[in-house]
Amino acid sequence: MPIHDQSYRHYRGNRARPGAAWAVIAWAGIRALLARRLVLALLVFAWVPFLVRAVQIYLSVNFGEIALLAPTAETFREFLEQQRLFVFFVTIYVGAGLIANDRRANALALYLSKPLGRTEYVAGKLAILFAFLLFVTWLPAMSLLGVQMVFSGSAEFVARNLFLIPAITLLAGLQVLLASLTMLALSSLSTSSRYVGILYAGVVLFSDAMFQALRAASGGSMAAWVSVTANLDQVGDVIFRLPGRYDTPWLLSAVVTLGLLGLSIVVLERRVRAVEVVT
Amino acid sequence: MPSFWAGAARVFDVSLGEMLWSRRTVFMALVTGGPVLVAFVVRVAFALDLPAFRVNDLVVSGPTIFGLMVWVFFLRFTVPVLGVFYGTALMADEVEDRTITYLFTRPIRRGAVLMGKYLAYLACTGFVVLPSVMLIYFLVVPSRGGSLAAGFPSLLIDLALLALGLAVYGAVFAFVGAWFRRPLLMGLVFIFGWEPAVVAVPGYLKQFSIAHYLQGLVPHAIPQDGVVSLLAAVFREVPSTASSLFWLAVIWAVAVLLAVRAVERREYVLDQ
Repeated sequence: MPIHDQSYRHYRGNRARPGAAWAVIAWAGIRALLARRLVLALLVFAWVPFLVRAVQIYLSVNFGEIALLAPTAETFREFLEQQRLFVFFVTIYVGAGLIANDRRANALALYLSKPLGRTEYVAGKLAILFAFLLFVTWLPAMSLLGVQMVFSGSAEFVARNLFLIPAITLLAGLQVLLASLTMLALSSLSTSSRYVGILYAGVVLFSDAMFQALRAASGGSMAAWVSVTANLDQVGDVIFRLPGRYDTPWLLSAVVTLGLLGLSIVVLERRVRAVEVVT
Repeated sequence: MPSFWAGAARVFDVSLGEMLWSRRTVFMALVTGGPVLVAFVVRVAFALDLPAFRVNDLVVSGPTIFGLMVWVFFLRFTVPVLGVFYGTALMADEVEDRTITYLFTRPIRRGAVLMGKYLAYLACTGFVVLPSVMLIYFLVVPSRGGSLAAGFPSLLIDLALLALGLAVYGAVFAFVGAWFRRPLLMGLVFIFGWEPAVVAVPGYLKQFSIAHYLQGLVPHAIPQDGVVSLLAAVFREVPSTASSLFWLAVIWAVAVLLAVRAVERREYVLDQ
């Protein structure tokens, strides 16, 4: 009978280079979420507005007399605005449990006891939400641009509005980054994903309700900076070279948005730790 | 074995303390404290007669602002959100914390557990939301020609409307929480996806929402003046008061019965 050596042996496998572990977390998270039917349904449903817009472009190209349907740069801005509802739901469903569930299962210490930094952990979790949100914002918007080119059989529209490519990328990126980072920060604050979900909904919708009330009382939109979505709208208008819809200076809206991103990073830095000191 | 209502009263007793003194109260304080802060800002702005607080150079009266705040903050936001938050958590929290076993092994009917928790939710949210509305009333209504006495009947209607909203939304989401595995998303889709969409669509679809019937009661609470008529124009096809009350009562009764039935029949599997 052979007797195997059970003593310590050095690891002879390949070592992953430092800084690449986030991809493992991201990929595992994406695969786990794609296995849920509700996520798939949500993602498919989020492409319905794309289909509607594609039909609109088809009609405008083939029936020139319907000038009302002809796409403009504003069409793409409106499309991204429409997708906000799906961004909201996907953020809550996909993002609420990303860190909260790990905290609940005390898995954070386990993660961080591996050769994995806190930044890599956060980057991995962020990448999961980022990927899903880009799938419902940037990808359909860019595809719509492609559809316009294919249906019209010319690149004239795209050439005339070349700024749309960076504008869509920038606004979708900002929208997705804001949603992802704030959700991750909230997720790191609790162990209950339901609580996190409602907290996120509260922050987004309550700030908007405050703005609406102040707007009704003052008769102007100078208080738009208190609303998370209004700030994004204001910055988005500037990115798409459109006049701002609110009285708040767009720079103030940009500063508030960046402040929110900064605050989320600070919260993540403080909350994502291997050891929690309880006093 | 104690009767259904005696069991519900015991659970109510335990749950009320838990609900009032939990971290969740922070969320509720934010949701109900924010409007009070806004009311304070508005009151200060009115006192200083800031030009920004004039609509087309016209003075907006205190009661008008109060009506708008009740609509924007409470009926459209706070009431549905608290309904989803607490309603879905009534059973889901116990399942998540794996404490439902302890409740179900007590000598009381399973449905009484839900009923007790639902009553605790009503008391807890009522204790926080209604005083917040009262504070806003005292802050905003007396300014710019408004009178506390004249607006009092309107305040009573507003308070009753909010209590009704909390009861109906809470019952519906208690059922959602008792029946579905992931109730939060369903709840949010219902209040922020389904309801705003169907209320704006002509036809019968809006009758499958709670907001439609609450809207039918709102014009009685909001003061009738220029700004409000604009709002009223949006709410075309509003049902009559009697019809709204009847359907809200039906929705409430059906939702409570279904929730109790769901809890009594469902086998909850706890995550390992």
